[in-house]
Amino acid sequence: MDILEFAWLIPVLPLLAFVIVGFLGSKMKDKGGIVALAGVGGGMVLALWTAFELLTTGRIYRANQDWVVLSSEYTLEMGIYLDNVAAMMLIVVSLISFLVVVYSLGYMHDQGPRRHRYFTEICLFVGVMLGLVLANNFFQMFVFWELVGLCSYLLIGFWYERPAAARAAKKAFLVTRVGDVMFMVGLFILFTELRTFNYESVWGMLDSADPTMMAFAAFFLFGGAIGKSAQFPLHDWLPDAMEGPTTVSALIHAATMVNAGVYLVARSFPIIATSAEVSLFVGAIGGITAFVAATMALCAPKIKGVLAYSTVSQLGYMILGLGAGAFLWHHGHHVAASVAFGAGLFHLMNHAFFKGQLFLGAGAVIHFVHTEELAKMGGLGKYMKVSMITMLISCLSIAGIPPLSGFWSKDEVLAMTFEAGDAGLTFMVLWILGVLTAFMTAFYMFRMWFMVFKGQPNEGTKHATEHGGHKHEAPVSMLLPLVVLAALAFGSGFSLFIGDGFFGAIYYDHAHVLSIGERLTEVFTSPLTYISIVAAVSGIMLAYFSFNKTKVSAEKVVSKGFPKAMHQLLLDRYKFPVAYDKIGYVGVYGTSLLLDKFDRYVIDGIVNGISAFLIKSGGVVRKLQNGFVQSYATLLLIGVSFIMILLYVVGVLR
Amino acid sequence: MDYTALYPEIIVALFALALPAVNLLLKDNRFLAAVSLAGLGLSMLSVLMYFLDDMGPIAFDNGLMVLDDFSALFMMVFLSVAFLVILASSRSIEGEKHVAEYYSLVLLATVGMMLVASATDLFVLYVGIEITSLSSYALVAFRKKDIRGTEAATKYFIFGGISSAFTLFGISLIYGLTGTTSFEEIGALVGTLEEYKEMLWMALVMVIVGFGFKVAMVPFHSWAPDVYDGAPTTITAMLAAGSKKMGFVAMFKFFLIAMLAIKADWEIVVAMLAIITMTVGNLAALNQTSIKRMLAYSSIAQAGYILIAVAVGTEFALTGGIFHIMTHAFMKGGAFIVVATLATVAIGERIADYKGLAKRSNFMAFSMTVLLFSLAGIPPLAGFASKVVLFSSPIMGTVQGAEWMVWLSVAGIINSAISLYYYARVVKYMYVDELEEGAPSEKLKLPKAMAAAVAICVVAVIGIGVFPEYFIQFCQDAAQALFA
Repeated sequence: MDILEFAWLIPVLPLLAFVIVGFLGSKMKDKGGIVALAGVGGGMVLALWTAFELLTTGRIYRANQDWVVLSSEYTLEMGIYLDNVAAMMLIVVSLISFLVVVYSLGYMHDQGPRRHRYFTEICLFVGVMLGLVLANNFFQMFVFWELVGLCSYLLIGFWYERPAAARAAKKAFLVTRVGDVMFMVGLFILFTELRTFNYESVWGMLDSADPTMMAFAAFFLFGGAIGKSAQFPLHDWLPDAMEGPTTVSALIHAATMVNAGVYLVARSFPIIATSAEVSLFVGAIGGITAFVAATMALCAPKIKGVLAYSTVSQLGYMILGLGAGAFLWHHGHHVAASVAFGAGLFHLMNHAFFKGQLFLGAGAVIHFVHTEELAKMGGLGKYMKVSMITMLISCLSIAGIPPLSGFWSKDEVLAMTFEAGDAGLTFMVLWILGVLTAFMTAFYMFRMWFMVFKGQPNEGTKHATEHGGHKHEAPVSMLLPLVVLAALAFGSGFSLFIGDGFFGAIYYDHAHVLSIGERLTEVFTSPLTYISIVAAVSGIMLAYFSFNKTKVSAEKVVSKGFPKAMHQLLLDRYKFPVAYDKIGYVGVYGTSLLLDKFDRYVIDGIVNGISAFLIKSGGVVRKLQNGFVQSYATLLLIGVSFIMILLYVVGVLR
Repeated sequence: MDYTALYPEIIVALFALALPAVNLLLKDNRFLAAVSLAGLGLSMLSVLMYFLDDMGPIAFDNGLMVLDDFSALFMMVFLSVAFLVILASSRSIEGEKHVAEYYSLVLLATVGMMLVASATDLFVLYVGIEITSLSSYALVAFRKKDIRGTEAATKYFIFGGISSAFTLFGISLIYGLTGTTSFEEIGALVGTLEEYKEMLWMALVMVIVGFGFKVAMVPFHSWAPDVYDGAPTTITAMLAAGSKKMGFVAMFKFFLIAMLAIKADWEIVVAMLAIITMTVGNLAALNQTSIKRMLAYSSIAQAGYILIAVAVGTEFALTGGIFHIMTHAFMKGGAFIVVATLATVAIGERIADYKGLAKRSNFMAFSMTVLLFSLAGIPPLAGFASKVVLFSSPIMGTVQGAEWMVWLSVAGIINSAISLYYYARVVKYMYVDELEEGAPSEKLKLPKAMAAAVAICVVAVIGIGVFPEYFIQFCQDAAQALFA
């Protein structure tokens, strides 16, 4: 049996669960939790099996079905294209989704009948994300892409009675929509130029295509990723998206939605690589995003806020890696380009694990103290041993301490950015930004960790432990995913040393196979490695002294002068929300007001006029119908004469 | 003589004649209905045999009648309509007097329609029309004590008589000019009658008026709303879905076989009548308060659409016309049966009586929605598929010099848009509006047989809409058979 023949079932199983839970869930005792678990779990087993088959054999699986046939030249297809990149995505998406569903069983327990809606939407979310990964063409990807957007809207606004949640859902939907429109423009350009959306056909035709148009296509496709993966300057929806249940945040941040953008960049990598300018643009956006988001995470007051900015920042790394790769490819450094491509995706995978863990851990913390304010926590380590240790592992990992997973991928991304600096000086600047970001990452993650688990118990902690609240850790169904993800956050980097190594399996065009010894030598003989380790360690030290030992008072630093102004600016998120609102209000709302006026007075006037006329003439016809045979007979006479005259006139005139 | 071509008609006729005798033995209404259904079923089977045997046209008596793809298809349509009407009637006329005669007359009316479908001769055609008409007059007046019903029957009879007179006058003129009543022979001769053109035109006027009455073409439509409104609703379903369609079969045969040679003389007139008919029908339907009258005007509008097929007169157009007749039989028949069904559970015939219906019977509201949306031509329902074929026919494959026919499509599409208003209004009443104050709100207990008839129509409407290719193929075969 060839498991790949059954790959189409991977998204179908969660979608089946979506249908079952949607229709019958309200009658089930657990509101569909078990069905959701079974559907997503079944999808995961198939996905892992499929990925194993793909990665061990190096096969590429294609299945294809004409979907909308307008003519032989204008055909949209539905299909499956599975290669090594898709295999990696399958592992990440299905595994984390499954763990999130397991975790949800405990986390959503107190939500009562609303769980029905939750599990229904989660199943849809997972199903369409897996469908997105399986797609074999850009158009199909776009269809699922939009469905992912819909699901995120529904889930971020899960507590729709809270105005903040409703606003956040709307914002996520509208801001990503800007990216979606660009994606669509990219699709239009692709189709007019190449007459196909199929990945392989597109890649194959790049050499003969008009380079200017391809550069535009790449630019607009990347625009889609800017929206979905929350890249600068469309990053601001992601922190707001924290208003949904924490499990949803974990799913959006680690497993599904934001990764869709990176996946799109990976799929359009060859198109991007045709243009040096667009490659540079992609890398620059990635680097700037990483840096800007990290600064905002420095003083975020809420635990999920820190994680949200951190996600944006780490996504910036991934995009930076892919951008550097495209740039290197364009300049003919094909091996390095393949490694950079792999490094971006490597970071995607590692990040998915540790960020998934961090969100679920944060969920456990919030579940315990019933607040998200870091200032109200403190001293929780005493009560939540498992959460504390697993989150420590993830923090070390994301900070980039060897040999945890975050170290390997971040180091590789930075190394490749540095290498791209040879070809274009801009990447040198981006490399510096990347190192600074690494320092800040270590600082803000440990700031969070110390404020939550160490130090004196603050009001939230006291409230939770003293007033009869639970004194224990979260239930097993919540702890299990934490432990599994922490193990992955610790060890997923070692995939570098399994078989041909990560870069021997996930690559663009050129496999980069190194033995364990060679790999270690390469990493640890490079001075760059030590620069990023030093950055990480000093970040942790600074956090330790300011938030655990309180040798350096953070409050004092930001109490006056330039630091104070800077602090306020960061709290205001560089005024981005205000800017969005301004642009939205003046540009969009203003235009829409104008159109509304036009619609109301001109269009509606015409429409209402026509309908009033029609209804009036209907009344006239109705009056003729008075029920008397005599008047009908009159009508008959008129009719006969009319036809007779008409027939003769036509006959004679001819 | 070989009666193979007549088996379907003979079976139904025998059952129609036997029913009053059966009634002497057993006075059970449902038993009689079952016997009638059995007769229709047998007849359908014999038509199916024809389809399955695939033996080509079978002529009867040197070309008085023929059983070919065209007539067989219409027999199936008429038999299906009769089947649904009797299925629904088995409950709606329960407890009335003379039920055996009722069923017998429905079957006889069906025999008439089937004769029209297979006629190849003007006189056979005329006899078929008369059989159907005479049976229908009696059926409309079935409830003798009902003033509205008897008034409707009187009107129907008067206008039916006028219509017959016109038709007969037209036929006699044509016979006088050509010396034959066979469609094919008339068709061969009619192009050679240059010096008698004026007389021929007179004949054309007479036949247009005569058939115009039957299909409720404007301005000969005025009887239709009154009669549809006054008749028992199941009979209305038969008139709208069956006997009116018989008028179109007659028109197809007369215009597209006998008068095809002088098509240029009449196509503009028919096209104008088509546009006038659809427009007047839709406009009048806009502010009706009775659902039956609204559906009656909608029928008039649909007649206008089908006239497009006559005016364009290509094989493709005829395919569309036949297809639309087929789908219209199910959607309009179904809609009237819904009204009849609801009448049995004390829901009135005012459109306002349908307010909040979805809360009392989801099935009825859903069925009515599907049927009405199909009438409006909303995909993926049958009405959409047939309108697509019908409305595209004036654009596709018209002869040179007839580019003006595009306006038929334009008129049809504009009219469809207008019609959506009154169809959607009913849907809004059923789903959006609350029940009227003081109205009962408990769930409806629907008669099973009637619900089944409705369900068949809904399934047919959705099925044809989703898989139109197969049905279009059938209609195309029928159109080819007529032109052969």
